[in-house]
Amino acid sequence: MKRALMLSLLLLCAGAAQAHKASDAYLILEADATGLSERVDIALRDLDRELQLDADENGQLSWGELRARAGEIDQLARQGLGMTLTDADGGRCAPQALAPLQIETRSDGRYAVLQRRWQCRAPAQDLTLSYRLFAASDPTHRGVLSLRGPAGAAQTLVLAPDGHASPLRLGAAHSLLSVLRDGAHHIWIGLDHILFLLALLLPAVLVREGNHWRPATRLRPVLLDVLGVVSAFTLAHSITLALAAFEILSPPSRWVESLIAASVLVAAMNNLWPRLLHGRWKLTFAFGLVHGFGFASALRELGLQREALAGPLLMFNLGVELGQLAVVAGFMGLVWGLRRRPGYPRWVLGGGSLLIALLALVWLLERVFDLQLLGR
Amino acid sequence: MRRLPSLLALLLLSLRGLASPYTPQSDEEMLEQLPRRLAAVPRQGLALPQALGLAQVALQRARQEGDPRELGRAQALLAPWWHLPAPPPAVRLLRASLLQTQHRFDAALQDLDALLASASTPLALRAQAELTRAALLQLRGRWPEARSACTRLAGLSYAALGAAVQMHGRVCLAELDSLQGRNESAAAALAQLARYPQAPSAWILLLRAELAERRGLAEAEALYRQALQAEPSIYTRAALADWLLARRRWAEAAALVLAHQSNQAELMRLPDALLLRLAIAWRAGGNDARASEAAAQLQERFEAAALRGDGSAHARERARYALDVRPDAGAALQQAIANWALQREPADAWLLWRAAQLPAAPKPLAAQARQAFEQFRRESGMQDARWSAAS
Repeated sequence: MKRALMLSLLLLCAGAAQAHKASDAYLILEADATGLSERVDIALRDLDRELQLDADENGQLSWGELRARAGEIDQLARQGLGMTLTDADGGRCAPQALAPLQIETRSDGRYAVLQRRWQCRAPAQDLTLSYRLFAASDPTHRGVLSLRGPAGAAQTLVLAPDGHASPLRLGAAHSLLSVLRDGAHHIWIGLDHILFLLALLLPAVLVREGNHWRPATRLRPVLLDVLGVVSAFTLAHSITLALAAFEILSPPSRWVESLIAASVLVAAMNNLWPRLLHGRWKLTFAFGLVHGFGFASALRELGLQREALAGPLLMFNLGVELGQLAVVAGFMGLVWGLRRRPGYPRWVLGGGSLLIALLALVWLLERVFDLQLLGR
Repeated sequence: MRRLPSLLALLLLSLRGLASPYTPQSDEEMLEQLPRRLAAVPRQGLALPQALGLAQVALQRARQEGDPRELGRAQALLAPWWHLPAPPPAVRLLRASLLQTQHRFDAALQDLDALLASASTPLALRAQAELTRAALLQLRGRWPEARSACTRLAGLSYAALGAAVQMHGRVCLAELDSLQGRNESAAAALAQLARYPQAPSAWILLLRAELAERRGLAEAEALYRQALQAEPSIYTRAALADWLLARRRWAEAAALVLAHQSNQAELMRLPDALLLRLAIAWRAGGNDARASEAAAQLQERFEAAALRGDGSAHARERARYALDVRPDAGAALQQAIANWALQREPADAWLLWRAAQLPAAPKPLAAQARQAFEQFRRESGMQDARWSAAS
């Protein structure tokens, strides 16, 4: 009884003594154009606990004792660190033989360094790690992973030995320029965003008088109108893009996509049966909010890290704006030239809007009911 | 533009000296000093009594050697029970102790409260839970609650367990008195308790040494040395080293720290608390080369701990580091304040006070530290020669 009591007394003043480095292993993975180099540093003390490396049991571990067991050490490391790697073409990358064992000195002792290469046919892209090194002998152990993609962007992760699979993406390391291009690209291929804008811009070069359209005579009010619409759209989708990118709001994508289709439909119908002529920017703002969530899902597909999101987010948005500006400028030039043609109100505005409305209706049905009506 | 991040990373790597694994020259080269091996755990695990016994040994070793791997090992031994909401009382008590050493104070307290609330906790375990809880509350600065726990231990509730338990309760009360400025009566009480054969002598010696230091008495040194002899713990060794450092006895402080280990050439075996004192002793004693070696190792350990999310466990050491090893007034204040939120022992108050005095300190932080310190001093009544004379 007294001994047991003494034990907890030992803890009375144990506070300061406990702050010391706990057991960590270090994983350093660096991807390049043809594969990945893997380096795992494991503390010799941890290895000895598991494998009893100190053959002569003199409390000292020699290089000879360690070297003789290199195969078992590698086996232990491979069991503790499940890793699959595929390249950009979806091919499996193959681990090569273990390089000769080496030693690293760290602040809390010496570590065995295990190194090998993974050979891929294309740049390494998808990595899945499941970590359970020392799970049975020290649950407080952690793997500190430093991961570098082919373009040099490094990230650090701490892995608990819980065996959970963590999927990590290495490929397509994103330079800011590439994110900018992705944003512009998304506008270009995102037909729904373009058609929404076009439906809003088609009537901009006309003026409604009674039940008729007549061509606008002065450029200035037209440009102001376009500026209002485009600014409202930009402002609105920037807000929701940021909210979604930082995971403050993330509405279900099926609803977002359906609402985007509905927004195109409404914008086109408003041209056919005008209800809202002045202040179309309000409509644009409301629907722009929805489009922002749509952009966010495209941004998410790039698999950016949340910690380093601000720069890419800005660039992506800038890319979206540039792509949008190009569409608007080209289109406005065209319709400004066409506005005096007698057929413009009926065939361009009316016919165009009708086509857009029909397409939007199909999208809406597809997205709401999860159908596939049009081929891709 | 693409090359810049990788260049930076390379620079960082080389600064940390990690870019160069090596191959030893000969098979005889000694790489690592290993702790005494504990019995291997069979695959199917151990029965509860064996697991508990080994886990207690591991915990004790963690305290003596300062290697937190032992704490992980203790947790592994208790794995079949570790995640139970209400494990058997003996496991729960040990779990609380382990959580406490990992600075997970609230979780530890929850376990201890549950043990005391449950009627099925055996009396002996209950007494231990009470004592552990008193220590934890005292560490956190929750003295009135600690005092009720100590009073229960010193009273009749645990009389059936014998005089030793009451003795622990009385020592614990005397310690609380000593923290609250009743220095003379506490010193007398501790000196008297030391004469009982059932008394926890190493603990009493340590408390008497610390109290003597707070009273500014030279007898502290002899008491520290006796305490270290009675129970060679890292905590006591570090406390004695601090006493020597405060008296500018650099060489003695360094020798005392190095006596902790057999291989005096390698620093990596030293626990953080001791490496820190060594860095201070070497720096102040003019041994610049070794001082910067020790400082670099400490820095690397802090960074490694922060990487795995254990940053706050080092706040006390980091504050001291920023005060005495690599002077940085802002960091010293930040860490001292962060530490004060976790721990409120005399050493923590002293760090807070020292950081607040730094002339180069950022003003708002310094004011915050001063205010926290003054409030503590007013409310606790603590007397400490290290700061009483100066402020």
